[in-house]
Amino acid sequence: MRHCGIIFLLPYLLLTYNNSFAYQQIAKTEESFLGLVEPFCPESAMPEWRKAYQIENVDIAPSPICNPDNPFNIAAFVNGTNNVSMATMMSTQLSPDTLIKSNDIDGDGDPDEIHIRLEVIELNGFSPDLKDPITTFNIAPGIQPGFWAFAPKSRGMSNESFASTKANPLLRLPSPSIRVEQGDKIIVTLENSHYFPHSIHFHGVDHPFQKKNGEGNDGVPQTSNKLTMPGKVVSYELTPRQTGTMVYHCHVQAHTHILMGLIGMFIVEENRPNNWVQTFNIGAGFVRHSSEAVKEKYSQEYDLQYQDIDRELHNIIQKGNDSRLLAKAFNRDYNITERTPDYFILNGRSFPYTLRESLIVIKPEEKIKLRVFNAGDQQLALHTHGFKPTATHFDGVKLKPEAQIQRDVFTLGPAQRADLELYAHDDGLNNMGAGIWTYHDHNELGVTTDGIYPGGHISSVVFESFLGPEGMPKLQGVDVSPFFTKEFYQKKYPIWSLSDENQLYGNIAEKSSDKVAEDDSQPAFDNKQIIILVLQILLLLITIYFLRKHTTK
Amino acid sequence: MTKKPFKTFSTGTLVAVGLSINSLYSNVIAEENPFDKVEQQPSSPAKKHKQPMEMSCGSNMRMDMKGMVMHENKTELPKDCAEVSEDITIKVQAGIEFAKQYPGTVFGFNEHQWQVKPCSRITVEFENKDDIRHQWMIHGLPKYLYPKGMFHIEVNGVEKKTGTFIVPSSNYTYLVHCDISQHMEKGMKAQLKVGNGRGDLPSIPGISDPTFKGSL
Repeated sequence: MRHCGIIFLLPYLLLTYNNSFAYQQIAKTEESFLGLVEPFCPESAMPEWRKAYQIENVDIAPSPICNPDNPFNIAAFVNGTNNVSMATMMSTQLSPDTLIKSNDIDGDGDPDEIHIRLEVIELNGFSPDLKDPITTFNIAPGIQPGFWAFAPKSRGMSNESFASTKANPLLRLPSPSIRVEQGDKIIVTLENSHYFPHSIHFHGVDHPFQKKNGEGNDGVPQTSNKLTMPGKVVSYELTPRQTGTMVYHCHVQAHTHILMGLIGMFIVEENRPNNWVQTFNIGAGFVRHSSEAVKEKYSQEYDLQYQDIDRELHNIIQKGNDSRLLAKAFNRDYNITERTPDYFILNGRSFPYTLRESLIVIKPEEKIKLRVFNAGDQQLALHTHGFKPTATHFDGVKLKPEAQIQRDVFTLGPAQRADLELYAHDDGLNNMGAGIWTYHDHNELGVTTDGIYPGGHISSVVFESFLGPEGMPKLQGVDVSPFFTKEFYQKKYPIWSLSDENQLYGNIAEKSSDKVAEDDSQPAFDNKQIIILVLQILLLLITIYFLRKHTTK
Repeated sequence: MTKKPFKTFSTGTLVAVGLSINSLYSNVIAEENPFDKVEQQPSSPAKKHKQPMEMSCGSNMRMDMKGMVMHENKTELPKDCAEVSEDITIKVQAGIEFAKQYPGTVFGFNEHQWQVKPCSRITVEFENKDDIRHQWMIHGLPKYLYPKGMFHIEVNGVEKKTGTFIVPSSNYTYLVHCDISQHMEKGMKAQLKVGNGRGDLPSIPGISDPTFKGSL
């Protein structure tokens, strides 16, 4: 039986031999590439709009960021579209009846009857004629979730031009902040230009349940108002007695319509003489014409609206065109209990686009008012580097002095608002000196874009001394070019590439080995290995043969 | 480390006549000031006095609270037309009530196709049956007569507006639509055939299938 042992040993010998020379060359590191880098400031931004203006007697503050608001819009938003010249109107895309301001009832020098008209628009929606979405609005390079938004009534085309599918600049996210003065008689008319029914509910804003004629005024289909169907119009009336940072949103199928983007800030400013407020703030952000009451305490004012986006919901409008299928997909197929957010936007954009529009530019000793609004479905934990802001109001209600807390993380649940005071007083508490101080969501989900960091809810407070040309902060960290490529958020770009001279973290070049084997059209197989495999099988068969022979004996 | 520029892609296959609404609007002159009436209301507080700014003249536009007519042309002949072949009036109605006929759409015109002789002078009587804005906008006209190749009527709520333009002599199918977000996609798409036309445009209710049906 001695030879029997040798038979069992042989395969093992061969196996060990196989392992010992199976060393394959380590896969190479792929050459890293950088996709087409978008400029920090896009061509569509208007540099001349950054300076201070006086249009139609309206003082418009300078806005040194990359993409400032159209000053002619501001003039129309302050005076009303009925109180500006045709020339100013022609520099806007507003309808003549977008905003009618009239009747100084209390004789204090400002108009007290305000008629606001809103439309409902769709962004990044389906086109039966194009492969890509139409009326586009990018939240980050190459990222176009479908949205609905309220927009001031406009005239002309929704698309920038017939040759371009970009949305005209009035049509964007977030729904614009709306400002009115305390005690004004306000009519808000919703012109439902969209293909689903919608409404407006004034959340936290002092408004009666019914209008004087008994019609509903709360915008809730279940309790107060019939649906405002496509092509129809409804007006809401309010004379708010209380001030503060409030909200307006659609209340039809609220669980999806709000998240699709039909939500914005509604701010009631304190009554003052000669108080011409800037009724719309397109895209939220810096207010170029603050109210008299805000100017008493603050040198600047910013609206910061945070939202989060579940791709599964927002992509529905890109999947088809039939109104019946769309209604079913939104209201029967989409299940919000399975919601997971993929994108996070501040004033309609994710980092790095936030740097173009949501920079807070500050000088030493300046005191700035921030109106922070969580319009998303996730908790927001807003953290400011270099500052500890003071909360002056929660949900629009002024806090008593002893309750005006100062901290570096403010947590807001869905629909909550905080008015914060940002004070550039370098004492180590209010502020830690000049610099580029990022402000971001500390709910870590919120600082990503489809799971890729950095993205989402990130922007910066920049001291003027750190602001470079074209509104770009004088960044001294890593090269931000990769963030301005589509490929970065398509996950094609390896981490730290531009800093990684020794290619420690590059992509493994799987495809390069394919290239070598391209001619054989077979995946790389070592001939030796195949021979050994054949030998092993033969040996196994021989062993079995011998074993059988022995057992039968 | 090498950086390879990554090729970008064109934004879809939009075959279109160039038309930039922004430059278009900054380049128009008002025939009447629609705000005069409003201004006379006792409402306007003392503060404001008008500072009319310089306007560049070029194309024409009529605008008031009811809507606007842009690039109207009653007299200038296209280069290839010796005379106006005929005067024709088309009555167009727009609104959600016209969608019912084409299930799955939400907006529509009473008709989605018109055919005229070459070199016709067309007067469009555009009636909006809805409370919101609608447009009758035609693209692809000669740019030397119609800035950006466009003639456009927009009506604000339940109102009517009328405008006139002259088409060239060649057989062509012109796109007519409402460019308010999703109105064309949801049914407000039509075509104007001059002469024999040049085929049908896609996704016109009752006439042609969509290019893309989607996956809902």
